[in-house]
This record gives sequence, C-alpha cells and structure tokens, in this order.
Amino acid sequence: MKRRQGWLFFIIFLLTFSIYLLINFPLQLGLDLKGGSQLTLQLIKEEGKVSKEELEAVNAVLDKRVNNLGVAESNLQTLGRDQLILELPGEQNPLSASRILGKTALLEFRTQKENTNSQLKNLQLQRFKLNDLIEQFKIGDKRNEEKSLLLMDNLTLIENEINYSSNKQQLFERLVETKKFISNEIANLFNKTDLSGKDLINAGRRQEQTNNNWEVSLSFSNDGGEKFAEITKSIAGTDKLLSIVLDGESISEASVGSQFINTGITGGSATISGNFSAENARELEVQLKGGSLPLPIEIVETNTIGPLLGSKNIVKSLYAAICGLIFVGIFMIFNYRILGFVSVISLIFYGFFNLALYSLIPVTLTLPGIAGLILSIGMAVDANVLIFERIREELINGNTLIRSIDSGFQRANSSIIDGHITTFVSCFVLFLLGTNFVKGFAATLGLGVVISLFTSLNCSKTILRFLTTYQSLRQKNLYLSKSKPL
Amino acid sequence: MTSFSFNLIKNKNKIFGFSSFLILLSLIGILYSSFNTSFKKPINLGMDFIGGNELRIERSCKEECENISPDLVIEKLRTFSNNKNLLNNIKLQIQNDNSLISIRTPYLTIEESNDLISNVDKILGPLNYDSKNSRIIGPKLGKKLLTNCATSLLVSLFAISLYISIRFDKKYALFALLALFHDLFIVFGIFSWLGVLLSIEVNSLFAVSLLTIAGYSVNDTVVIFDRIRENLKKDSDNYNKIIQISVNESFRRTFFTSITTLIPLLTLIIFGSYSLFWFSVSLTLGILIGSYSSILLAPSFLIKD
Repeated sequence: MKRRQGWLFFIIFLLTFSIYLLINFPLQLGLDLKGGSQLTLQLIKEEGKVSKEELEAVNAVLDKRVNNLGVAESNLQTLGRDQLILELPGEQNPLSASRILGKTALLEFRTQKENTNSQLKNLQLQRFKLNDLIEQFKIGDKRNEEKSLLLMDNLTLIENEINYSSNKQQLFERLVETKKFISNEIANLFNKTDLSGKDLINAGRRQEQTNNNWEVSLSFSNDGGEKFAEITKSIAGTDKLLSIVLDGESISEASVGSQFINTGITGGSATISGNFSAENARELEVQLKGGSLPLPIEIVETNTIGPLLGSKNIVKSLYAAICGLIFVGIFMIFNYRILGFVSVISLIFYGFFNLALYSLIPVTLTLPGIAGLILSIGMAVDANVLIFERIREELINGNTLIRSIDSGFQRANSSIIDGHITTFVSCFVLFLLGTNFVKGFAATLGLGVVISLFTSLNCSKTILRFLTTYQSLRQKNLYLSKSKPL
Repeated sequence: MTSFSFNLIKNKNKIFGFSSFLILLSLIGILYSSFNTSFKKPINLGMDFIGGNELRIERSCKEECENISPDLVIEKLRTFSNNKNLLNNIKLQIQNDNSLISIRTPYLTIEESNDLISNVDKILGPLNYDSKNSRIIGPKLGKKLLTNCATSLLVSLFAISLYISIRFDKKYALFALLALFHDLFIVFGIFSWLGVLLSIEVNSLFAVSLLTIAGYSVNDTVVIFDRIRENLKKDSDNYNKIIQISVNESFRRTFFTSITTLIPLLTLIIFGSYSLFWFSVSLTLGILIGSYSSILLAPSFLIKD
C-alpha cells in the first residue's frame, strides 16, 4: 500500500510539473496552425551524394540570407541528407524569399578579352533591345494578341541576330531565356580574375542620384581591395571593360578611366549599377551578404497557409479532440462505472503529460500531429478496456475486488505491451523515413503510445487503489455495468 | 460465461467467403484502375506523388455565395496564360455552398503560381486571401515522396512481421500476418474504387494511415491469439471448441476497443480540418476491417477441419 501512495504523490507531482511547463513554455504551433509559408529546398548535385559538410555549408549561407531578409521568427532546418526546410510565419509571400534563396549568387569580376569589342557592342545592343521588349511586355494587357505577336516578331529578330532559339513556349519565358543567353555570352567575352564574392566583407544598396534606379555597393576585404586595385590598374585607360558576373551572367560592364592607370581603383569599394529596381537591388544585396552557395538548390515544395485558415484549423482540431475525449469518457463511464471514471481521470492526465512533453522536447504541433494525438487517445483507452475486461471477468468468476483488480492489471499486461510495441514500431519507421508532414503524426502517436503505457498501467492502477481505500466505493455493483447471469 | 455466443466453427466458411469476396472486389478495383486509360495506376495518386499546384481559397460573399459555373471559370482562367500544358489540365472544384474553391493545375513555378493567385479574384469575385492554402510540389519531390512512402511501408511491415514471428510460433505469426495483409489490401482496394468512381486521390497521409492500420490490426490479432494460447494451455483436448470460446470471450473487448478508437476518429471526420478528412476515413475503414479480421478471420485460420 505504501508503495502505491508513493506513486500517487509522484503522479500528482508530474501533473503539477506538466501544468507548470505548459504555462511557462507554450506549445509551438506548426505553419498549418498559425499560417505562413514553408519551402522545401533540394540540393542539386550532378554526381555522387551530397555530403554532410556540403549540406551544412549550404545551410549556413541560406541562414545568413534568411537573416538578412529580416523575417521575424523564420526557421531554417535540414531535412534528411539533401534537403532543407524554410518556414516563414505570418503573411509572407514566398515569392521574394524563393528568388533570394534559389540563386547561387556566385559573384565574379572579369576583364575583357582581346579583340572582342565589336562582338561585345552587338551583344550589348541586343540586350538593350531585349530589355525594352521585357518592359513593354510587363506594362499593359498581357492577353492582347496583337501586342504579343509584335513582341514575338521583335524577339525573333534578336534571336536571329545572335543565332539563338529558345525552346520555351511562352513569350515571357522566351524573353527571359534569351536575355540569360545574351548575358552569358557577354560574360564569356571576359577573362576570369582571382577576385570573387569571397573577397567581400559587406554589401549595401542606394538609389542613384541621376535617376530612379538603384545600385549595389560592395566593400572588399583588405586583400580583396588590393586585388581590385590590381585588376582595375591592368585595364585602366585601355578600351577593355570590367565585367561583374553573377551566376555566369554579366550584369554590368564598365570602363576604368585613365586617371587610375598608376594605382588602380583603391579604397576597397565598388558599385554595381545595372538598372536595378529597389527590389532587385535588395535581393542582390542579401545574396552577396550571405555569400555564394557551394551547391545549387531547387525549391521543390511550397506550402502557403493563410493566417485565418491556421486559426480555423486550431478551432476545428480542438473541437474534434474535446468531443472525442467527452464521447470516449461517456462510453467508458457508461460501460465500466467507477472503472470508467478512473480511465477518464487517467485520460485527462494522459492529455496533460502529452502536451507537457511536446513543450519539453519540443514537438511542433501540426495538423497531422493533432490527428496522431487524437488517435492515441483512442489507443490509450484501448489499454484500459483490456484491463477492465479482465477485472470484470475476474469479478464475474467470483473473485474479491482487490484480487480482481490486481490480476486484471497483471494479466492484461503482456497484450498491452505487445500492442504498444507494434504501434511504436510503425511510428518509429515513419519518423525515420517520413517527410516533415508525416513526422508530426509519427511523433505525437509514438509519444502517446509511450505515455499511455505509463498512464494506463500505472496511473489508473494507482487511482483505482486510492479509490478502493474508501469502504463505500468497494461495492461490486459499482464495477459491473449489468449483473450478467453467470 | 459470456453473453456472446458465435459459432465460429460452423460459420468458418462464410467468413472465408466474405473475405474472399472483399479481396476479389478490391482486386477488381485495383486492376480496373491500373488498366483504365485515364489512370494507368493501381490507385489514384494525388499531388504529393505526382507534383502540381493547388490553390484552395474561400470566397467572401455577403450572404450566400452565388452559383458559378466551373466551365466558365476555367474558360476565363485560360485567358490569363498561354501555357498549354497548364490550361488543358486545370481541375476546379467548388464546395461548401459555392464558398470554397479549389483549383488544381500541373506544376507551376512560384512566379506563375503567384500570378494565378493574385489574378484569380478578377474571375471569382472577392476572395478571402487570409484563408488561402496554396501548395506547389515539384515533380522530382513527388517521385521521392512516393518511393519514400513505399519504403516506409515495406520496412515497417518487415519490422512488424519480424516482431510477430519472434513473439509467436510460426503458425500464429503466419496467420496474424495474413490477416494484416488482408486488411491493408482491402483498404487499398476501397481507395482504388474511390479513385475510379469519385476521383478521390491518395497522398502521403494515406500511406501513414496504412501503416497505422497495420500496427493496430496486428495488435488486435495478438490479443486474441494470446487468449487462445492461454486457454489451450488449460485444455488442449477440444482444440476447435477452445478457439471458439476464446473468440467469444474476446468479442466484447475487441468490440469496445474498436469503438473507443473509432469515436475520436469520427469526431475528426466530423469536426476536423479538410486535410485530415480522407486520412480519418481511411483509418476508420482500416480499423473496422482490422477488427473484423482479428476477431473472425484470423481465428478461423486456426480451426481444423
């Protein structure tokens, strides 16, 4: 008896501790409950598997970019061997995040090759024309057939000029592809130097004084500043240009004046002005600050949930969970009387222990997670049913109450443990192999199964022992729903 | 001794007949779905597995939402884009008294999807953007998810089989597993039919539900086999009779445990979020079939002629 009392205090202590935890460390809600966007990023590697170091390196760069984006409470974590998950809470549009994250952002400085002037001039002219077409496409009615045809004709002229034909169907995609090709061709007219994005210590943006365009300013490290001076010195006063290349595309070409012929451009800073809009300038700034990605990435999944839908999901799930608990409780009390009452109390304990564990570990609660929790309520009661049926049989067989309770718990033990193990095995596999979405379900159901072993075997036994210390609660008919003929 | 008296020995063949009928029906569903030109897969795979773009959004109507014709909406959507692959594969659903709209298209880039989202209110009228749900899944990820789900299923079935064969002797283990595969096959078959008849799709949560059903069904069977073994130790002379008695003794508890598990699932179906609806349905079906197979089918295997 004494040992049981010890258990009773332990259980009450656990309950108090759980409530304390829940008050002080509120549950973390997943995006499907609070609204927001989730992006799954896949690392692309042509040959071989992505190594752990590479994944961490990509993670570090993206982390910097995300921080520079200035989204509060964003969360980036790795998933499996070659994926990352980015969560942006609230009313975020995943579009700008995707643009900033998706680029490799490899910045290079190149100097022009010999005798390429005429080629370069032509390409620059075509790029100028193409930019104009893109501007025209963006303004006005996109569905206007005549305009589309006109743009297409002009595009074909440019394509013929540069011997290129895009395989894309849509007009806008063709325009973008062609521009990419030209920028790439321009970059190929330049020689690589040893100055790159690695030599940057900072990047910024400001509006140009003469017009509405934005420019991005670069600050080099000491070493980078020297390299930059060296490079600019080598082409100062010549007709060779300096090109700034981002991800293999030349975004800006500039000449270096003859006044720099002796020292090059010193001071360790430079500016890129390539007709940036405010948005584009900010994106480039964030990318450059974060550094370039060691491996390219692709966004393979985007899931956006409005904040209102999130709160609706919470309300719905709460309804389902509470109704489930109430109906199960009614069913149990109706069939098992006092035993049913005991199971309801241990079920309530079960609920608290579960939630407390979620905030302790912590487990982020998602919709599938709630489904796992609700399902685990049913399974936790299953264990009680097994025990109570045994107790009932013992009682019908004419055993005393205390003996029936003891042997009921004892004899149901092995079936309960078996059942819990098979469910736990499924959850374990799901947790190891599943996606993020599935993991939520596996985590809550798996934890539920473990806690239910404790509550259904130990808590209900302790409560039952406690209740049976009262003489008035020891009548057999309080334990048998209907007196069945023996 | 108990109020249940079901003559398992006599009804054994009826049970086998019923199960064979269900399995045959499932098999027909799976084969029909596999060879039907519009599916070509044993089950209607959803966006999780094939990739695509889905937008679910609520209309904000003053009182009741007026009818809109899906064909007209699709027609108007066509004018937004000239991407042919997109336009030929738009699926539109209007639910909840015209208030909930879901638009499914093949895979779109984030830019294209954003374009669609920001223009769709021009076609559908005012929309409640705060309650939108938009998902884009790339085709590569879809394939990965599919293999991932298949591996999870196989690995955990293997793990459960291993556990069962260590826990029981060969005969019991074999029959518990037969009952398990019976349950999974029938749930799979039902969803094949649902795919063919109502174009219900399965997503990764369906695979999860199959796994959960597997755990649950085995668990139920184990309890009954335990009871049979326990009773056979006491009296091994009337083999068939003991099995029948054990089944009848377990009837009440299997019935009750199923009900206590079904109650929360039914509340999920009724009150829960739409994304959990078919998941809960599949679990409910699985638990119904699993209980049947544990209490009636699995012990029938043990009965000797």
